[in-house]
Amino acid sequence: MILNLKKSLSTRIVVNILLFCILLFVICLGTFYLFSKRTIEKKTTDYAIEISKNTVLEAEKILSNTEVISKNYIWLLEKMNMQPDSISNLTRTIVANNPTIQGCAIAFEPNFFPQKGYYFSPYSCHIGDSIVTHQIGNPEYEYFYMDWFQIPKFIRSSYWTEPYYDEGGSNNIIATFSTPFYTTSEAGKVFAGILTLDLSLEWFTEMISSVKILQSGFASVISQHGTIVSHPDSELIMHQTIFTYAKEIKSPDLRTIGRDMLAGNSNFVSAQLRDRQMHLFYTPLPTSKWSLIVAFPEKEMYASLKSTTFILIALTLFGLGLLIFLVQKIVRRQIAPLRVIAASAKEVAKGNFSTRLPEIKTEDEMRHLRDSFCYMQKQLTVYIEDLKNTTSAKEKIESELRIAREIQMGMIPKIFPPFPDTPQIDLYAMLQPAKEVGGDLYDFFLIDNDHMCFAIGDVSGKGVPASLFMAVTRTLLRSTAPKQLSTANIVNTLNRSLAAGNESSMFVTFFLGIINLKTGILTYTNAGHNPPIIIHSDAEPEFFETTDQIPIGLFDSYIYRQSKREIHAMDKLLLYTDGITEAENAEKALYSDHRLMQCIAKNKQHHPRGIIEAITEDVKLHVGHNEQSDDLTMLSLIYQV
Amino acid sequence: MAQKMGFYEQENLVVNIEHPSASINATTKLADHEADVISLFLVTAITARDQGVNLVNIGQTSQQSALLFITKKEHNIKTISDLNGKKIGIWKSGFDEIPKALIDNNNCSVEWVPILSTVNLFLIGGIDAMTVMWYNEYDVIVNSGFDPNELNPVFISDYGYNVPEDGLYCLNETLQTKKETLKRFVKASMKGWDYAALHREETLDTVMALMKRKHIPSNRSHQAWMLDRIIELQVPDEKSTIKGELVEKDYKLTQQILLNGNYIKTKIPFSDFHTPLLLK
Repeated sequence: MILNLKKSLSTRIVVNILLFCILLFVICLGTFYLFSKRTIEKKTTDYAIEISKNTVLEAEKILSNTEVISKNYIWLLEKMNMQPDSISNLTRTIVANNPTIQGCAIAFEPNFFPQKGYYFSPYSCHIGDSIVTHQIGNPEYEYFYMDWFQIPKFIRSSYWTEPYYDEGGSNNIIATFSTPFYTTSEAGKVFAGILTLDLSLEWFTEMISSVKILQSGFASVISQHGTIVSHPDSELIMHQTIFTYAKEIKSPDLRTIGRDMLAGNSNFVSAQLRDRQMHLFYTPLPTSKWSLIVAFPEKEMYASLKSTTFILIALTLFGLGLLIFLVQKIVRRQIAPLRVIAASAKEVAKGNFSTRLPEIKTEDEMRHLRDSFCYMQKQLTVYIEDLKNTTSAKEKIESELRIAREIQMGMIPKIFPPFPDTPQIDLYAMLQPAKEVGGDLYDFFLIDNDHMCFAIGDVSGKGVPASLFMAVTRTLLRSTAPKQLSTANIVNTLNRSLAAGNESSMFVTFFLGIINLKTGILTYTNAGHNPPIIIHSDAEPEFFETTDQIPIGLFDSYIYRQSKREIHAMDKLLLYTDGITEAENAEKALYSDHRLMQCIAKNKQHHPRGIIEAITEDVKLHVGHNEQSDDLTMLSLIYQV
Repeated sequence: MAQKMGFYEQENLVVNIEHPSASINATTKLADHEADVISLFLVTAITARDQGVNLVNIGQTSQQSALLFITKKEHNIKTISDLNGKKIGIWKSGFDEIPKALIDNNNCSVEWVPILSTVNLFLIGGIDAMTVMWYNEYDVIVNSGFDPNELNPVFISDYGYNVPEDGLYCLNETLQTKKETLKRFVKASMKGWDYAALHREETLDTVMALMKRKHIPSNRSHQAWMLDRIIELQVPDEKSTIKGELVEKDYKLTQQILLNGNYIKTKIPFSDFHTPLLLK
């Protein structure tokens, strides 16, 4: 599959476009999501804060109004000449005149009015549509020890009691606002009793219950000691404090929040409540020291964002799918001619240059490609035609060269042993041209019964010119040598003949030797050729002493000298061209004189043929797969008395 | 739990549990033969016996004192003597003998503020300290927003007043006539407590359901605290003591405290006061 994807240009284009689009989409959607999240968070938070503050404001109106009512009647109580009957009437008046007040008590210290006994606490309250007044103090209800009496007495200031159920009365949650009042005597201000105003919290809990934030967000109120006064879960109301609830749901965070609420602080926080992450805002109701908290789940806050994001992702995926389909279609249509051109190219490769190319009407790259291909087709036709002609000509030349080689090889002796009737001498030679025809030569022949002439040469350059020069040299040698026993004369004759009219300044390095078969005396002339090697039967092989004579064919006036040397019985001579010592391997390293000498030393016991074959193998080993760069020519002989 | 799990039934007992009201307390119910067995604090029982109610202890569920003075750390009250000159809230309904005896014996002069039932006066700072029960009011205070590290509890037991509390009592005449029945009752009751200790959640479910039926506001976390502490208080100091039996030295200590404080006049022997009904 991956291979197919890589192979198809259209698929690669589509994949690249798709990857880019996905990256773009992720960036855009990420930015949108983060920005929207922040906006939603801010709006919801602002809304929660606003709704909380409005609720607190509404509640405070009624709570503070209760305090104002209390303050007014306290003033009246402390100013008036307090009489038991008027006190009873006063509680009734307070309830009648203030519809928000559910009940009112004016409770006195024990025996405050001796004529009324130990307890005196008239209490008026609404029961149905009427107002009922009665005394609430008796041995079973010693009001002096109730919170609503005792706490304001001790703290000498007003006190909102903890909310409580008015069972059997209004059956509502009631909070009592208690204020101490005093009489003035000679001893100063003396505590006289408590004025209480009962406030039904029905309106309050309704107001709190009506607060809705998102789907399940709600508001709750806790009292100054943490009791839950209002909550959507009625099981919690008056049963739990925020701290017991925090313990039950194992949320230390909520306990911390509760303590901060009781401290009268306001804050916006996030906390884990049960299994939900909730955002909470709390703010105090300063009058009663209660605290309002609104809570809404984080999940709901981002619900709309999540659904929007989901729709966006779905739409984008659909869009991407459509994009892939269209791009694939367009790209395929656009590159369709490429397939035809590719098929045509195959046909062209098969030699069918007249293959028809698709017609392209648009002036675009495809048209240029088609035109270029068409041009290439035409050029190829011309080129192939030229090539055919050239190949034909080349084949002709090669054929001629093959003939030339056959002629050249026919010119050098190849029958071994060459002189079966002459036991004093055995000889073997080899010429392996680098190209079809080479410029190396060797020759040997008997001048008379006692003298054998042998030669080796290397014509400068290669190929046909060199082979022709070689043929001329060999022909001249054959025509000159039988009349001479002086190698110097022979070489000088050869030099003059070759140098005459040598316009192309070709030359031959040449070694010529004549060995006296009876005495073993070797007369030789070395014209710039590699020094031959004498292979002693009883000593290490060695190079002949070299002379500094120049190759023949260059200057007709040059006079060559000859040297003499005795060849002992069973000594061998090896003559070779530089094709041997300068044979190169792939690393351009030469075979070298040194390695040649080593090879000879290793094989010196062999007869000439064995030595030459050993050297040939060694050179082949050295060269390896490298192409043979020069002719390989060797001649070896053994003198046997 | 003994009632719910049928432990009384298993002992061929028909038991009806009644709660005292504000006007008729448990002792009155016993004296008036409205109840055969009642649960009382040891202090209350000794005082009632002194006042002529011929009751006897037939079982002691509590073996430790749970009484303490709770103070706010900010008041820096660490010992009893630090309470000198302070306003201390104390239950108006009773159980005040031991704290008062302790304060008197330490030559402290304090202002006792009788309190009906809530801890609000303490919470709001109207008093400096308050006598509370470790298993009840202490947790109510914590549940009102005070962290334990903001409170200094002064345990009365730390001052040699480890007076056990709840016990089971009946009239002497009932003991004489229904001894075997009472034995089975005490046995089943203690079995109920053992069951509660081993089945905490079930016990809490039962209590919560009962309170809901009776419209008594409460919550599970506070009830859990109460149950755990009550179970702890039932463990005797000495291994030789049978769980559910009143220890003689505890009785004598309580009696002496009450005599010293002139709460009682006569010294009743332990054997007259306590009849062990649980098998050793």
